[in-house]
Amino acid sequence: MKRRISLFGALREADARGYIEVDVPAHSTIAELREAVQHYAREHAPAISPGLIQRSAFASGDEILHNHRSVPEQGELAILPPVSGG
Amino acid sequence: MTEIYTAVVDIAHGPLRPAEALEFVADPRFGGIATFIGRVRQHNLGRVVTGISYDLFDALALRTFQHIGERARQEVGGPMKLYIAHAKGDLRIGDFAVVVAAATPHRDEAFRACRLAIEAVKHEAPIWKQEHYIDGHSAWSEGCSLCEEHRAEEQRAAGLAATQAGDAHGHEH
Repeated sequence: MKRRISLFGALREADARGYIEVDVPAHSTIAELREAVQHYAREHAPAISPGLIQRSAFASGDEILHNHRSVPEQGELAILPPVSGG
Repeated sequence: MTEIYTAVVDIAHGPLRPAEALEFVADPRFGGIATFIGRVRQHNLGRVVTGISYDLFDALALRTFQHIGERARQEVGGPMKLYIAHAKGDLRIGDFAVVVAAATPHRDEAFRACRLAIEAVKHEAPIWKQEHYIDGHSAWSEGCSLCEEHRAEEQRAAGLAATQAGDAHGHEH
């Protein structure tokens, strides 16, 4: 399934549209989605460091989705680099 | 009655207003109000800063603020009103970046709730800060990972010094 992933902070530099789209099999885990994003970045956004993607979290609009969780089939999905509010 | 107010304020539409926070938490039950106001400062790590851009994931930021408020309520264990608002967009030196206000019957709970809330906003809310420098460069701040494996690593790496400082993570902000 193709999933759109919203970008924030330093990861916005991966695509000026503010999102990327990656294909993952149905029932993939967040850990597998992370691998797909790493692959996408190597191909399309080499300026983004793999370490930054590794330190990033995935989230829906409601909650952080840790590595063991399934990729939700619908709804907003985002990748969140380390945070620095305040 | 709503006792926790949360907001993401796009400063293109107007600034954060600390007076609004005080109005929200004011209540005849409460004799103590603690506030924290974060403003954009001119220097960071030896560089002259000319402004900051804040990026937020609004929906999740508001949910996170609400959860933080609920934790503060448990910490206080009694009546409390709490206001949490964070700015979004392009801020100049001196602009308000974040406003937290906590009101409780006495000062101790107000200070504790306010401290808990601002620390959690800084370390847990989906907010990103990009500093702009006088030499024309810009950089995203290093930040705290929200990824559980990396949070655990950061806390281990923070080690004794951070434990002594009472702030268990491995970088300054």
